[in-house]
Amino acid sequence: MQIGILGGSVSQFGELWQVSPRFLARDIVGQAIADSGLALDAIEAIYVGNMLSGMLGGQENLGAFFAAELGLRCPAFKIEGACASGGLAVHTAINGIRGGMYKTALVIGIEKMTDYGSDEVAAALMGAGSDEERKSGITFAGLYALIAQQHREKYGTTEQQMAAVAVKNHFHASLNPKAHFQSPLTIEKVMRSALVADPLKLFDCSPVSDGVAAVVLADESMSKKRAKPVWVAASAVATDTLSLTARHDLTTLQAASDAARVAYKQAGVTPNDIAVAEVHDCFTIAEIVAMEDLGFYEKGKAASGIERFETMLGKRKPFDSAQGRPVVNPSGGLKGCGHPVGATGVKQIVEIMQQLRGQSGKRQVPDARIGLTHNVGGSGAVAVVHILRS
Amino acid sequence: MLSPIKVWRNQKYIRDLLGKQGAVVSHTVIRVAPVGFSAQAPYPVVLVKLDDGTKVLGQVVDWEDSHLISGQRVEVVVRRIYTPDSSGIIPYGIKFKPL
Repeated sequence: MQIGILGGSVSQFGELWQVSPRFLARDIVGQAIADSGLALDAIEAIYVGNMLSGMLGGQENLGAFFAAELGLRCPAFKIEGACASGGLAVHTAINGIRGGMYKTALVIGIEKMTDYGSDEVAAALMGAGSDEERKSGITFAGLYALIAQQHREKYGTTEQQMAAVAVKNHFHASLNPKAHFQSPLTIEKVMRSALVADPLKLFDCSPVSDGVAAVVLADESMSKKRAKPVWVAASAVATDTLSLTARHDLTTLQAASDAARVAYKQAGVTPNDIAVAEVHDCFTIAEIVAMEDLGFYEKGKAASGIERFETMLGKRKPFDSAQGRPVVNPSGGLKGCGHPVGATGVKQIVEIMQQLRGQSGKRQVPDARIGLTHNVGGSGAVAVVHILRS
Repeated sequence: MLSPIKVWRNQKYIRDLLGKQGAVVSHTVIRVAPVGFSAQAPYPVVLVKLDDGTKVLGQVVDWEDSHLISGQRVEVVVRRIYTPDSSGIIPYGIKFKPL
């Protein structure tokens, strides 16, 4: 059975001090439901993607929390997989429909992070790592710095090439009114920013953001009633060791390449067929590794391609499958659009849905018919890859 | 909050690693630290492959910039690893000393 995406919406991402998670979610869910053309009471199940509501906000039981907030009494679940919580919630919702339990499902990805101090957020995010990692005093920037250091030694990846990821994604973010950052960056500005975890600097890191995204999914018969349905061509999840320490090769995230391989097979497509991709650039080095794990570039070749801005809007020629390079992170990615961790995986789905419908305005990728999302939890302990088609 | 039971349970792991030697595989310097570690920042964290093949992550003590290179030989030592919380337990763990 095919699963359709009927509607979706994304809130403003950023420092949203004036609004509580419950009001933010109610607003965005309302927009997603309206976009789907369904009535609210047609929703048969709710899946909430969230990582930190317990550790930071002291609020667990989020399934019932949001069901009650929406005035619904249907089955509702919180799905947690660190920064991949949103993608995992979408995957689980798809399985619920595919298994025949529900005809429709609502997925809410949500995170409220800016109410807390940066040391508290850094410590809470380390909940995604291992006990050994926490005791070393390392942070997520530090774990990706270890990856960057190895990538640099093995493939000659430079700090300027990493900075190019931030420059591209901030340019895309400047075209996205919902993005956390609205101003373009330069390579020089990235290079001059303060070190966070050597060699990663402040502008190599995605920000701490608040935000919500929601999508409405439905089974094949309900989806076919829509004028322009977007179809889920693949939904794949893979896991790896929790700790970075235990990996054989630090320059690849095995879970991401495993999930990608399964997803390409499910969809019957190759990396060359993907016109647009939203990938998990929690740090600039992460986008370089993602390009290689997803098969868009050979190992060690992505950094120079990104430095030539081959994956930037406007730089890339109208889609040509022989060229095989998608536009990457038209939303601005985690780096430019912001990274409310539980919302990110759902936001990626909404962005690709809008791209495939031709609704992305100034950041529209021309002729986008097949798109991909790549959502990673921890330092590659879990990865979710979705492929959507119009 | 540190749990005495958890501290006791993890002691074996620390004891097994003490005195072992190995080489740095990858390294970073943490400048924005999590809760409990801020007083020590900036501090280096290295991924070390011990001579028995085990890979371990930890901070470096008594370090200079020249120690932060792949292949640097180090030895596992026991140190207080972060600022004690309100439980009053002093959290000991492993760090690396350059050789």
